[in-house]
Amino acid sequence: MSSALDWLQFVLAPQMVNGLSIGVAVVLMALGLTIIFGLLDVINMAHGEFYAIGAYGAVALIGLGMSFWWALALTPLLMAVLGYVTERGLIQRVFHSKDRHTLTLLLTFGVGIVLEDVLKIVFGANPLRVEAPITGATELVGLFFPNYRLFVMAVGGLLIVAVWVLVFRTSLGAIVRAAAFDRYMSASLGVPISRVYAATFAFGVALAGISGVLLAPIYSVFPTMGRDFVLIAFSVVIIGGMGSIKGAVLAGLLLTQVQSISSLFISPVWNDPLLFGIMVLVLMWRPQGLYGKLGNA
Amino acid sequence: MHDQAKPSAQAPSASRYFTWLFFLGALVFALGAGLVGDVFFLRLATEALIFGGLALSVDLLLGRVGLLPLGQALFFGLGAYVSALVLKEWHNSFWLSVTVSLVASALAGLVGGIVAIRAKGVYFALISFGLAQVVSKVVFNTRDLGASDGIIGVPGAAIFPGLTSADPIGFFLVTLATIFGLYCGLTYLMETPFGRQLSAIRTNEHRIPFLGFDPWRYKLLAFVVAACIAGLSGALYPMLRGFVSPELMFFQVSGNAVINVIVGGTGTLIGSLYGSTLLTGLKSVVGSFTAHHQIVIGLLFVVVVIVFPRGLIGYLSPLLQRRLSFRHATGRGGQ
Amino acid sequence: MKTKLMTTLIAATFTVGAQAQTGPIRVGVVTPLSGTYAGIGQQVKWGLDLAAKEINGGGGVMGRQIELIYEDEEANPAVAVQKAEKLFQVGKVDFLTGTVNSGSTLAVGQVAERNNRLIATTVSFADSITADKCSANVFRVNARAGMQSAALADWMASTKPNANVFYLGPDYEMGRSTVAAFKSAAESKGAKTVGEVFAPLDNKDYSPFFGQMRSARPTVIYTSVAGNDTVRLFTQMAEFGLNRNVQVVGASGTVTSQNLKAIGSAADGFVTGVGYSTSIDSAENKKFVASFEAANKAQPDLYGADSYGVLFFYKAAVEKAKSTDTDKVRTAMRGLQWATPQGIKTMRAGDHQAMQDMYAVKVNGGKFEIVGKVAAATAIGPDACTKF
Repeated sequence: MSSALDWLQFVLAPQMVNGLSIGVAVVLMALGLTIIFGLLDVINMAHGEFYAIGAYGAVALIGLGMSFWWALALTPLLMAVLGYVTERGLIQRVFHSKDRHTLTLLLTFGVGIVLEDVLKIVFGANPLRVEAPITGATELVGLFFPNYRLFVMAVGGLLIVAVWVLVFRTSLGAIVRAAAFDRYMSASLGVPISRVYAATFAFGVALAGISGVLLAPIYSVFPTMGRDFVLIAFSVVIIGGMGSIKGAVLAGLLLTQVQSISSLFISPVWNDPLLFGIMVLVLMWRPQGLYGKLGNA
Repeated sequence: MHDQAKPSAQAPSASRYFTWLFFLGALVFALGAGLVGDVFFLRLATEALIFGGLALSVDLLLGRVGLLPLGQALFFGLGAYVSALVLKEWHNSFWLSVTVSLVASALAGLVGGIVAIRAKGVYFALISFGLAQVVSKVVFNTRDLGASDGIIGVPGAAIFPGLTSADPIGFFLVTLATIFGLYCGLTYLMETPFGRQLSAIRTNEHRIPFLGFDPWRYKLLAFVVAACIAGLSGALYPMLRGFVSPELMFFQVSGNAVINVIVGGTGTLIGSLYGSTLLTGLKSVVGSFTAHHQIVIGLLFVVVVIVFPRGLIGYLSPLLQRRLSFRHATGRGGQ
Repeated sequence: MKTKLMTTLIAATFTVGAQAQTGPIRVGVVTPLSGTYAGIGQQVKWGLDLAAKEINGGGGVMGRQIELIYEDEEANPAVAVQKAEKLFQVGKVDFLTGTVNSGSTLAVGQVAERNNRLIATTVSFADSITADKCSANVFRVNARAGMQSAALADWMASTKPNANVFYLGPDYEMGRSTVAAFKSAAESKGAKTVGEVFAPLDNKDYSPFFGQMRSARPTVIYTSVAGNDTVRLFTQMAEFGLNRNVQVVGASGTVTSQNLKAIGSAADGFVTGVGYSTSIDSAENKKFVASFEAANKAQPDLYGADSYGVLFFYKAAVEKAKSTDTDKVRTAMRGLQWATPQGIKTMRAGDHQAMQDMYAVKVNGGKFEIVGKVAAATAIGPDACTKF
């Protein structure tokens, strides 16, 4: 009996808490993706590279002598500018064609290829380190939590709530949702639709950037770091429903729990097939994912 | 020249010019290379054709059905592994390994299609991507398939008495004939009612059921055909290079095939062969000058998507068509 | 047809050989300058460039200069094969080196066989390359995995006798075989296995495995993860305080000069078995480290050192053969002894595996210190090659 309790406390519980800290990171990545898709119908294949640029942004700013906190505050702003420029300069150009889905996907795919190589030229191929601004660990009910992870979970949770409030409780969010629901109607009601698109894309990119900064001290920084997130973030967005914020949060937390608990029992190399299997099953059951689009919920 | 009224990207006569130009050009190249005794360029060109076959299968799905496959390398790699195993472990015969690879890719295409075809648009793209990721990881971890080292020591395949795939010019011609056969078969298929159903699906899938057809079945068939084309092309790879490795299934290969199609011209079929040749050549040259060929290829791709979304052939074809129509109208040319 | 092809090929090599006897000796380098292994490719290039400069400055090889021709293989065997063929056929290189991942080395070895040239790897450490998958055209100048395990197991048996070892490897074939090799070496010297876990390649977060690790109460943790994965593993282990009171050991690729800076102080105390360290106390090595640092503003690691050494290996063989002809050079290479920063290496004739002294090195304040040494003959293990 006591060994079962021990197992719950010392094996399962830490596993679930660790899963939660990965989950928050995955949700942050998936949120940017799903918001961009929800409004623009754009699958941003370069999202992982924007995440990497965020992390490198922090490396560069810290290298210039700033503190981690300044880097954390400043990087998302710079990323938003980069996102805005990318949307206006590149995505807008193919946005009005018939094959918008495919063309924007391909375009961001090409942009991703270029960005990754640019990072390599500027910063080199070897991994870089960002020192965690908070050190030490806290012991709670016999479990051991690094303080920086607790911080990341807290900030991540706050960001998720903030995004939700912004989209569903502010007039800005209402404009975005209206544009997602019916772009022609909103345009005729005087919504500056192309600026809303660019701003939303910028917002999604800034979210990727802020995840990059937050996770840099835990996951380290290297040019291909974004690729690791591609499969899981896309799966989360698909399962949750493309464009659904609620879906991304729920699917992100659930999937990472499934992964971390299953890794107690099966070889982790089967994690990806498992994830993928769940994705296929969900799609067979509900082809549109768990929740609908941004405009609807 | 009854088609001159609709100078679309698929205008038959102009695209026929490009087809003949490609295959005759390849023959002239083979002749020239044979005369100077070249080996490297012949084998590089053979590789370009093989990856052209993969691109052709991507174009069938992307250009003709409107489905973007981001994991087509799965079937290419499958064909390559099956072919390598047949040649090395069972019986050294070109015909046998090609047949077994075809059967295997058709079966895999059927299974993969049933999983992937239900999804539309970007969902399909991401599912095909995930499918290839999962399978390539499994291969990467299977010791019996050589795991990360792949399978080396695949012997040159016996094609005819006295000809093996180790002969550069002979195997180039065999590959050329294979790709030509695939291309002709595919263009013929597109002229049949099946092909017209596909273009109807691409234009407006929701109307198809009202015409009494089940779009799902047509899409599935197209997916299986595409898997077979990719698998057959893949089957040629170990014959050329003597090995297979899990990298053949990686996203890099799938992504390059999509790039080849877009650069060559989506939906033109022949464009995928032009795209593959162009980019294989370009990479071989650029890679020698700079380690940052990624940027060159990536920028080229971005520019094509923004400025010439119809690709090389899709852009040149209407121009040529207009010229042909003009010559026909003024009575100085035409057939 | 096949024989006809062979005769043409041989004829072609003959004419090329005859032409080339006067010009520079061309050495092809197929190495990953982009992709996952770009950092290793960088060390390979630095080592080779330095060696070529020194050899050419000292009058070349039999009066001929060495010319290096680089091609990027993108850490992909399919690309490596294409580039190797280009170098053999169009670049007319006499010798080829630089391949990093084992898949590339094996596949390029086949191209060398087909073109009747020789290649040498300076990085790949899969045992198979000079064992069951050996080739008459392939040589290896660096230490293979078995030799590294032997050195580390020897050190462990003497400093941590009867240790309780927990194994953490990357979950792919190579990672598993590295763990298996070290495990059998360690167990034969009295170590006990208390747990074993495999994390996916490119794993983001190792903390899910820490529960198992902690409850197994190991005295030694062995890991064979590499590159960026090590950075994350070590950072996270330090974050969770897991490396306290535990000796962490691992494969030679686990901590290298490329990722050492990124791991920082979390790497301190790590011990590995390796064929090179900057702190090898010899005049040759000090001179090598000084010129390497002057040229590249970075320290050499095992890859840089072995790539530097391979050109001297080729030089010695050509001078002994008095020719660049493949068969003559191959004969000269077998049993050849040559000087490297690590000391004298011997190329074993039976399997084309270089024999060298092996070291156990410990990371201390960002430097690798030698803490143990195993003689070449003990470390190398039996000759398992039956192909030639």
